[in-house]
Amino acid sequence: MRSIWAVARNTIKQALRLKIAAVFIVLLLVLLPVMGLKMTGDGTLKGHLQAFVSYSLSLTALLLSLLTIFAATYTLTGDVKDKQVYTILTKPIRRYEFVMGKFLGIVIIDAGLLLLFSAIIYGITISLPTFKKADSKELAQVRNEFFTARTSLKPEKPDVSSDVDSAYNKLKDSGELPAGVDEHPVARRNYKKELAQRISQRKRAAAVGEELVWQFDNVRPEDPNQDLFVRFKYNVAVNPPDMEVYSRWFIGDDRQIQTTGIIETPIYTVERKDFVGTFHEIEIPADAVASDGYLMLAFQNVPLNNTVVFFPSEDGLELLYKADTFTANFSRAVLLIFIRLVFLAALALFAGSFLSFPVAILLCLAVFAMANMSGFINESFDSLGNNISRVYYYSFKPLIGLLPRFDQPGVSKYLVLARMFSWSQVAKLGTSTLLLKALPLAILSLIIFSYREIAKVIV
Amino acid sequence: MEYAIETLFLTKVFSDWWGRNRVVAVDGLNLKVRTNEVFGLLGPNGSGKTTTLKVLLGLLHPTKGRSLVLGGDATDPQINRKIGFLPEESYLYRYLTARETLDFYGRLFKLPPKVRKLRIEALLDMVGLKAVANRTVGTFSKGMARRIGLAQALINDPDLLILDEPTTGLDPIGTRQIKDLIIELAGRGKTILLCSHLLADVEDVCDRIAILYGGKIQTEGAVDDLLRHSDKTEITTGRLNAQAIEKIKRVLADEHAECMIDSPKTKLETFFIDIVAEAQREAMPTSGAVSKTGLSEFLSAKSDEQSRREAILDQLVSNKPSGEKTADTRTQQVRAQPTQAPSTDEDLLRKLTEETGSAEPKHVSQLAQDKPEPVKPDRAAENVLDELTGRSGPDKSQKPDIQQEENNA
Repeated sequence: MRSIWAVARNTIKQALRLKIAAVFIVLLLVLLPVMGLKMTGDGTLKGHLQAFVSYSLSLTALLLSLLTIFAATYTLTGDVKDKQVYTILTKPIRRYEFVMGKFLGIVIIDAGLLLLFSAIIYGITISLPTFKKADSKELAQVRNEFFTARTSLKPEKPDVSSDVDSAYNKLKDSGELPAGVDEHPVARRNYKKELAQRISQRKRAAAVGEELVWQFDNVRPEDPNQDLFVRFKYNVAVNPPDMEVYSRWFIGDDRQIQTTGIIETPIYTVERKDFVGTFHEIEIPADAVASDGYLMLAFQNVPLNNTVVFFPSEDGLELLYKADTFTANFSRAVLLIFIRLVFLAALALFAGSFLSFPVAILLCLAVFAMANMSGFINESFDSLGNNISRVYYYSFKPLIGLLPRFDQPGVSKYLVLARMFSWSQVAKLGTSTLLLKALPLAILSLIIFSYREIAKVIV
Repeated sequence: MEYAIETLFLTKVFSDWWGRNRVVAVDGLNLKVRTNEVFGLLGPNGSGKTTTLKVLLGLLHPTKGRSLVLGGDATDPQINRKIGFLPEESYLYRYLTARETLDFYGRLFKLPPKVRKLRIEALLDMVGLKAVANRTVGTFSKGMARRIGLAQALINDPDLLILDEPTTGLDPIGTRQIKDLIIELAGRGKTILLCSHLLADVEDVCDRIAILYGGKIQTEGAVDDLLRHSDKTEITTGRLNAQAIEKIKRVLADEHAECMIDSPKTKLETFFIDIVAEAQREAMPTSGAVSKTGLSEFLSAKSDEQSRREAILDQLVSNKPSGEKTADTRTQQVRAQPTQAPSTDEDLLRKLTEETGSAEPKHVSQLAQDKPEPVKPDRAAENVLDELTGRSGPDKSQKPDIQQEENNA
């Protein structure tokens, strides 16, 4: 352990003396305050905060990722190329201890720098409202919609498979299915998928005068005096002249009306007029929630509108309430960045354990780039998978599964939306990134380096 | 443990990118370095010296054969904590200062902080870099880096010191210091494997040498034996007048011997060292290394276990059969002024032949023969000696004894 620590200390010295480290550190120290002052977002205080947190955290994550890749690759390949390993590996240190020392050193640097820069970002973020001399309305808005960590409840997706089957059979019986669909399993599956989409969208649409009802079972705000937020966006079949839609909302425990008729918890009625296609939030006191966590939301398409109104399936409607503080959420987001840096360190040491510096760097950068667009890559290969299923299934898919997914979620997504990034999410991402992806790479690098012929010459 | 280093049919072949064998760097090498001897591995560039060392230390994997260092595998921490290694160039971290460098290596040996600190200071003092201890190694000259390299090889007070070209880049004083150091360390019971093509250095310090060419040992033996001209006699005396010289010439003419009479020159090395020593006495400023004499305290400080080990070694040394000399007499030999009279050749030769005659089996021919079985280096040396002295060839009747002894070994 002591020799691991000696190597780690030396690695820290080595990495901090890299020019790229100096450049990145100075860059961040200059850029973060400048970004704090200059980024304005959409002009509001909330927009300013969102833009700053989003860009500064992403920039920090990007630069530290690059630094990790460079430093971790260099520290191993450089020592082999410049032959310092000759004097080190002939000392009483096992080779795996040497690589572990390198890993520890890089992880310590990452932790230190990440702590420094996230502290700077945090400091700038919480002092921005004071600095900008925001008025009380803006302050209230950022308090509710930015400096908080809200849990999001989305309505459960209704199970439409029986509807799909009956609709499909009906079409089949009446002979209205497109030609060839029923014969090919792939075509049949795709057609049913299409049907399912259509049916579930119909369930999220309200014709004029109609009502849509959602029921939530597990709403547990910490404090009954806080507020709930209904965040929604709707689309319309025919655009109204001023692009605005009238709506009436009922929020509360509707069971009281149906059973006893005595209203114990309040039911709120809200009438609004909102733009189409953008997000809006309705603020409701949390006492609307029944003691068992039940809450009903009902949307009424007011006859003033002359169009069908529907809610997009992904983010059309959700219920938000405060579950944690901004600080805790911020810390977990930083922890997520750290988890990714640890993966990159393991990757870079793995590459450095058997490749030369340029090749190792290239490999790491390629994986890093792919990890940052893993969503796109996965989707493309999934759609491709329908046609080359078997080849794809046994070759590409396992490889793509090995990729970490740095864009899912993006580092600042939860902070910008003031959305709760829970410990269980951190644990899940940590397990999949560290245990399933970084650890095998780290073990591989230890094994490869242990058995590698260090002084090998190719003639 | 009779041998500090032993290789058995060690072969290393380098291949090209396609895996085709291209260069045979070491070819069936049977090297045996006894405990507590200074062994010189000589050879021209590319003869396989460094490759041998790398295989010994586990930096290269042997293609065939195996090697034992201190009775085990050199990659085993239990073994390599007793080894000091100075590679062909001092591969050090350029950004660390001299002191930090030694601290780093000391930590790898898990030396307790107190011991580490003491040793670092002692070593810095010993290699003459105390004044520049806080400068980064990257700013050092090659020779200064070499000195730090040597210091790192000594930080664990090793039993076996492996030095690859230790004197390259060093000034004559540094070279001389290293040579003195090697002799002193040998006197303390350490084994030293020296790899060099600077023949003067090897000649001054080594007990035995092997000359490598094409990855094979071409010849092997005790330095004194290999280099002695037994058909010549050198007489060194104080200043003589012309009369006395004439007299000697007459005596020699009676013996039908030709002779050359000349005043000996000072060696340039000695001359150079005198000049620099003079400058240092006048305390002239320098930004380079300062020469010191003597060994660091810790290398001589003996723990109980160490002194016990050394007692055993001393015993071994005193029992050594051939003309091994103690470090002290060796040191004198190196430092000998030209006017001092060395012991006469006849004396030494008589001693050698007497001892060989009684204690040691005669010899095994090794030269120019590709014998696959391990050969006792000493006997090979004697073979060379015999060839030089014009004695008869290998005595077949001795062979069973040799085999016997090898089995014992």
